[in-house]
Amino acid sequence: MWNEYSVGLALVMISAVIGFLALLREQDDLHRLLIIDLVEIPSLAIIALLGTDLAEALILPGLVVGIAELLALSQIYVTKEGLRKRPVRGLHIEVVERAHAPVIIPALLVGYGIVLSGFTGGAVAALGAIFFVISRGSTDSYELVEMASGIAWAAWIASFFVFMFFPQYWYAGVMGAAVGILVKVAAKMTLVGSMWGEAE
Amino acid sequence: MIISRISRFISNFDNLLALFAGACAVLAVLFVLFLPLPYSEDQLYPKEIDESSPLYPYERGGTPFERADIHVQYPENSPFAGYVTAYLTPFSLALSRLTPHAGTTIVAHPGGILDEILYNTRGLDTVVETTILFIAFAIGSYLFRKGS
Amino acid sequence: MIGIGGQPLFMLPFGDIVLYFTPFTLTLFILALVFTVLVIISKPERQIDIVFGGDAYLAKEISISEMKFRRFMAIACGLASMGAMVTGDIFDFALFTSLVGICNVGIVAAVKSRHVQNAAYQYGLVAMSATVPLFAGAAIVAATTGTLSILELALPGATKVPLFVKALLTLGVMGEGMAPFYAAKAEMFRAPGAPYVIMCSLSSLLIFLRVIEVVLTV
Repeated sequence: MWNEYSVGLALVMISAVIGFLALLREQDDLHRLLIIDLVEIPSLAIIALLGTDLAEALILPGLVVGIAELLALSQIYVTKEGLRKRPVRGLHIEVVERAHAPVIIPALLVGYGIVLSGFTGGAVAALGAIFFVISRGSTDSYELVEMASGIAWAAWIASFFVFMFFPQYWYAGVMGAAVGILVKVAAKMTLVGSMWGEAE
Repeated sequence: MIISRISRFISNFDNLLALFAGACAVLAVLFVLFLPLPYSEDQLYPKEIDESSPLYPYERGGTPFERADIHVQYPENSPFAGYVTAYLTPFSLALSRLTPHAGTTIVAHPGGILDEILYNTRGLDTVVETTILFIAFAIGSYLFRKGS
Repeated sequence: MIGIGGQPLFMLPFGDIVLYFTPFTLTLFILALVFTVLVIISKPERQIDIVFGGDAYLAKEISISEMKFRRFMAIACGLASMGAMVTGDIFDFALFTSLVGICNVGIVAAVKSRHVQNAAYQYGLVAMSATVPLFAGAAIVAATTGTLSILELALPGATKVPLFVKALLTLGVMGEGMAPFYAAKAEMFRAPGAPYVIMCSLSSLLIFLRVIEVVLTV
């Protein structure tokens, strides 16, 4: 009774064993973090082997948990090693003046993110916003972004309660949740992406 | 003494990850050896593939503002399950009439089976998941501000 | 449902995810609740280093912001433990358990000592790799039995979960609740701030107790 599911499970488990063996041998702290990020992919693959619509809905939490822990641990690593941004001196090479990237790329990304909405849209829109911040070098109004993220969080929780206690208003619930999660994920990812670059 | 050696190895927290990874690897190898597992045919939220649909690969099986037929765990707890699955926004309706290749864009737009599961029937999962993201962000930003 | 937890006293349905309170889970829930209230109202301790052979002693200064942050993390950890105690869904349990794990990292990571931060980092690595067996176990439960609800799996006619899948779940919870293993060396407890650090141990103990109930029931 070697069905397709068992064959797939065997392949994924073997790749997980390879990853864990690498983890067993590695001594360097940073490399350990990177290998763990790699080892998490087999766990997503095992969820995907389920092959139903439920699997697609379960992959998203699994992926987000991995990203969140990677984010926290990398910041702990930076603090523990005492890494700081050190300006490089003594290099005087003539370079062509840096030009701004065209605004059309972030605009397209943010626009497509708003069309998608929800988690996926939030991630795409955040990519556009990070690109804009990096290419323009503007770092102001973080408080505004944080506040938008908090309000969006509240909107999403309100939509959850609408679904649970007033299911006849499902339309308001799905719109509130889609917009709330879009803004929340986009804001948080943008902050993460831009904050880390400007440590001074 | 072997016991004191083992206890010295365990008490060094640099070895802890290696220990855990070893345990995981051993368990995974045993898992493969005992493998053929039955796959239950009676799954929740089964996936149907209809390649001719403009919504492919996420055909919904219903028209907007009517209930689609989905297999949830506790139908009595979600009396309105199925409405979000069948819903198409005007934009995605237009998109589905325009081209048969935009199914993935349409499913990410509000409405559809994934929104139904993530927001409605398994909404608590999403609450916990965003909380994990929030806690991790709080740790990161606290350490970042302290360091600067 | 006749499990080791007893008959459910009442249930709290959130769609497919049903929280259930049996005498067992209710006891653990109340324990987590009481300790969370204690964390909210108690004042943190000051740590004092005493020099041997002399009169000199040194009170360690801890900033208010650090204490506030650690209290926040401890409260979040208490709430996560409460959720993990009563949830009736295997995947939801896995999510709550990883929330407990990352809160435990947060409680310790705020301490301004390189030694303690190194311990927090190593523990965080273990907690992160523990999500692999945890989520894999939950997904295989869904594939082999066709449901994720513990209440459905506890029914007499339900398909039984294979033994190795239970082992995966248990190993995952062991990784997330690794904090008590540190008690041997007391690295984590060298961190000042009494009630908050104890929350690490308590939450790990609670998720251990709960996973035993889950594994014996399904």
